[in-house]
Amino acid sequence: MNFPRAAGTVLRTLCVALVAAVAMAGAVRAVALTDEAGREVRVPDRSQRIVSLAPSITEILFALGAGGRVVGVTQYSNYPAEAARLPKVGSYINLSLEKILALRPDLVIGIRDGNPKAIIDRLAELGVPCYIVDPQSLDGVVTTVRNIGRAVGREQAADQIAAQMASRIREVERRVAGLATPRVFYQIGVEPIVSAGQGTFPNILIETAGGKNIAADMAAYPQLNVEQVLVARPEIIIVTSMTREYDFERVRAFWGRWPGLPAVAAARIYVVDSDLMDRPSPRIVEGLETLARLIHPQRFK
Amino acid sequence: MRVTPVRIMATSILLIGVLAVVCLASLTTGPAKLRPGAVLAELFGSPGALDAMERTILMRVRLPRVLLGALVGGTLAIGGVVFQALLRNPLAEPFVLGVMGGSAFGAILGILGGWAFFPGVTGVAFAGGILTIALVIGIAGGRTRIHTNTLLLAGVIVNAFFSAAIMFLLSVTRNQEIHNVLRWLMGDLSLATFRELVILAPLVLIGFTLIFASSRSLNLIVMGEETAMHLGVQVERVKKGLLVLVSLVVSAAVALSGIIGFVGLIIPHVLRILVGSDHRLLLPASLLFGAGFLVFCDTVARVATTQTELPVGVITALAGGPFFMYLLRRKQR
Repeated sequence: MNFPRAAGTVLRTLCVALVAAVAMAGAVRAVALTDEAGREVRVPDRSQRIVSLAPSITEILFALGAGGRVVGVTQYSNYPAEAARLPKVGSYINLSLEKILALRPDLVIGIRDGNPKAIIDRLAELGVPCYIVDPQSLDGVVTTVRNIGRAVGREQAADQIAAQMASRIREVERRVAGLATPRVFYQIGVEPIVSAGQGTFPNILIETAGGKNIAADMAAYPQLNVEQVLVARPEIIIVTSMTREYDFERVRAFWGRWPGLPAVAAARIYVVDSDLMDRPSPRIVEGLETLARLIHPQRFK
Repeated sequence: MRVTPVRIMATSILLIGVLAVVCLASLTTGPAKLRPGAVLAELFGSPGALDAMERTILMRVRLPRVLLGALVGGTLAIGGVVFQALLRNPLAEPFVLGVMGGSAFGAILGILGGWAFFPGVTGVAFAGGILTIALVIGIAGGRTRIHTNTLLLAGVIVNAFFSAAIMFLLSVTRNQEIHNVLRWLMGDLSLATFRELVILAPLVLIGFTLIFASSRSLNLIVMGEETAMHLGVQVERVKKGLLVLVSLVVSAAVALSGIIGFVGLIIPHVLRILVGSDHRLLLPASLLFGAGFLVFCDTVARVATTQTELPVGVITALAGGPFFMYLLRRKQR
């Protein structure tokens, strides 16, 4: 046997073993965290292969600078652009267990409203740590950013982003405080007419931005008939870009048939980007500011 | 061609071979690329070719899924054979007597209640199916003579009623678990575990043995209940026994897999065209072919798109429809 080559082989083997040992030591070290659903999760000290189970979580991970460690996302994870190129594990409501496992995640981050409980339970059972977030308010989103930061070892970035978000939310609240609240009709669907009601982020944003959502007391995504909208006499109509396959001008023309509607009379029908309005991610603050500007333009000159 | 024990054996062995090939193909197919050689080694003796995650995917995700698919497919197919014979109606399928509505309603209550899939949701779905069937058989004159047409009508109406009740629940709920309901309604095998198989497998095996034992009576009942009675078949007893038995296994299968349409309707027809309508041959052939068909469809559902997984019910209808029409056409010529 050729001695130098044998030595090389031994050396190489030792190196590989060393690297593997270090990697394993890193993987073994884990901290026990309680997630937002109240579950105990053993999160690896520094996760290297993260799978995100919702577009909002993907946005948070990239905002925190952990995007490079994300190995899988859901179907509509379109922001930032590099996230859209990552492997897909299904849509956030229709996940594929095997696609998730095949990516060999050392951390899965999911969301309570939307991700099927059955899949999360199975993942946990198979030994994959699943950290579940559950933002239910604007301040809840800020908390979620902090919690994800802790789960992926980016506490500093998280604190910075969270502080910025909180101060921008407080600023909007300060500017609209004490103002009259105009009636807002938030339209997601065109045919049939669908709005956003109780417990949804658009509803929270409208209220925080100093408006009164006419569907505030209805089911989460209620279907309305024209009569209900006319009776509510909205002063502002917000159409989301979810209806983009439909021409916004046609929606404007549709409501234009009722010139008696205050929103039509005042020409206050607007289109907004739905991704800014219903994703509990840092960008939701932009959504809040957009709405506040549309509802109270005089306070944002 | 005459049906002899030899022919039954030969056909069964052939179909078992087909089923085994489909199952093995299914085990090696999916988002995670597992080499067929390594899969065979892992299953039969010399593990080590797969790493930990690959072994988890093979043994704890794919294997239970393939086995559940086979059991459910076989159950739905024999359910269809028996119901089509008893009701003497080619449109009959295992869900027709209200199992669909009843178990779906039960499952949805469980899902909206936030219970774990197993045993919570499965349990209420099973209870819903069984209670509904009992109700339908009761309406059709359970204690005395069962009227076939009343039975069918009662089943259709109960299914329609529960569909409406489900629509109502889905429209008024503010519960976010609603998405999981849709997943269940479209049929889903992807979350199978061995816990569920341990319950379903004995049930299906015992059920099938008893049904197979009645295959001669079924042959006679198909010719007409009067004739069967004259030839010494205790028609009412056989009918009631089979209805209860089939309902039991079908409810159990549905509770675990959700509503997978089409298998129970077309597999019996396909096998009648292929092997004839003698139930001694038709029943085992349908069981095995139905099993293979559903495993095949579930495999396609797993890999058809890179974005997500399709509901298996979509594939059963898309794959089964054209195949069935082709067979019907060929038979007419």
